[in-house]
Amino acid sequence: MARILIVDDSRTSRKILRGLLEESGHEVIAEAENGEEGVKKYIECKPDVTTLDITMPVMDGLEALTKIREYDGNAKVIMVTAAGQQNKMVEAIKNGASEFVTKPFEKDNILKIIEKM
Amino acid sequence: MISRLFGSYLVKEGKLTEAQLETVYETMRKVRVKLGLIAVSEKLMTTEQSDEINRLQAIMDKRFGDLAVEKGYLTADQVTRLLGLQGNQYLSFVQAIVDNDFLSMDEINKSLADYQNDNGFTATDMEDLKSGESDRIVPLFLPQNIVEYQLEHILMSIRGFIRLIDSDIYVEKGYISDYEEVQSFAMQSLDGDNKATMAIAGEGKNILAVADAFAGETFEIADEDALDAVAEFINCVNGMFATKINNAFDIDLVPPEYSPDGCKFTGKLIVLPVHVKGSVIKLISSFGEFINK
Repeated sequence: MARILIVDDSRTSRKILRGLLEESGHEVIAEAENGEEGVKKYIECKPDVTTLDITMPVMDGLEALTKIREYDGNAKVIMVTAAGQQNKMVEAIKNGASEFVTKPFEKDNILKIIEKM
Repeated sequence: MISRLFGSYLVKEGKLTEAQLETVYETMRKVRVKLGLIAVSEKLMTTEQSDEINRLQAIMDKRFGDLAVEKGYLTADQVTRLLGLQGNQYLSFVQAIVDNDFLSMDEINKSLADYQNDNGFTATDMEDLKSGESDRIVPLFLPQNIVEYQLEHILMSIRGFIRLIDSDIYVEKGYISDYEEVQSFAMQSLDGDNKATMAIAGEGKNILAVADAFAGETFEIADEDALDAVAEFINCVNGMFATKINNAFDIDLVPPEYSPDGCKFTGKLIVLPVHVKGSVIKLISSFGEFINK
């Protein structure tokens, strides 16, 4: 079981993801609505795994990833994205993202990724 | 889609009552078998394989048969045979009307000819309508001279509706406008080499048909939570569209926007009314520039 931080500007996405994770025995310890809040929550909560939406207002997922990795070089971060953002995915890999999942969420895929991490 | 289009025409013309039409749809639902189920019953796929394709369909803009072929579970010939077994939607619709003794075949054919004349459809258009394929039907309801990518954006949105929201959606005649007053709406733009925006707008609670289906919950009012769900649906469609055109254009998804308060959209708008779960919403798109509000 992993302690997970969900960072996504969409309440719907956070709710669907939380449901999938909790149903499978994981603990969602915090949620954040944008990258800036996500970085703060990461420092506060030290989650095992963080899911980071790429497209967010205030601070996007890529910038948040950089800041989280600066704070914790071992942070395990899954980037969440609608398909079609290949360039940003490449940038996220360079910045240390561990994995990707695409929306709409596929439960088995997400659980496999978290298990692998 | 043809059963919904022609069905609503028959009610409008007084040939069928609303209750009779609902009985016809119920009859169709009872006999309509999903392709995956037919494949399993024909022992061409396992239940696990069929479930896997169903899951993939939720995240990919592809038909069951195409995914099954890609995965190596079925051959193209097998898919063709299974589609034949599944049956044509128009014929199933006609069969259900006749079996319920609501209209005779001659009466249906007469009404179909009237439907063709009233809408100015050609014989080829009618073949497209009867095919039951949204990619062949929806262009008949769109204005002429739409750029290729905008047409693909709209068709992909319709396929998204069918897969994720309501398999029984149908459309009305679309139009081009430089101004559209909307109530509740959600929208997302694509920025970069070729700008585009896709929006969904609805009056009153109509937009909840999309929000409820996508979020899997029942919203009471079209508030920000409900519109967030609509925005996420658009985000998923735009993501798939961006994947498709990324070879031609470098584009980025902009954070979605939504509001329960009315506003005015301006730009080169293509407006397509869509019937979703008994409500009418508007799919509004622009290509080459953003929608201004």
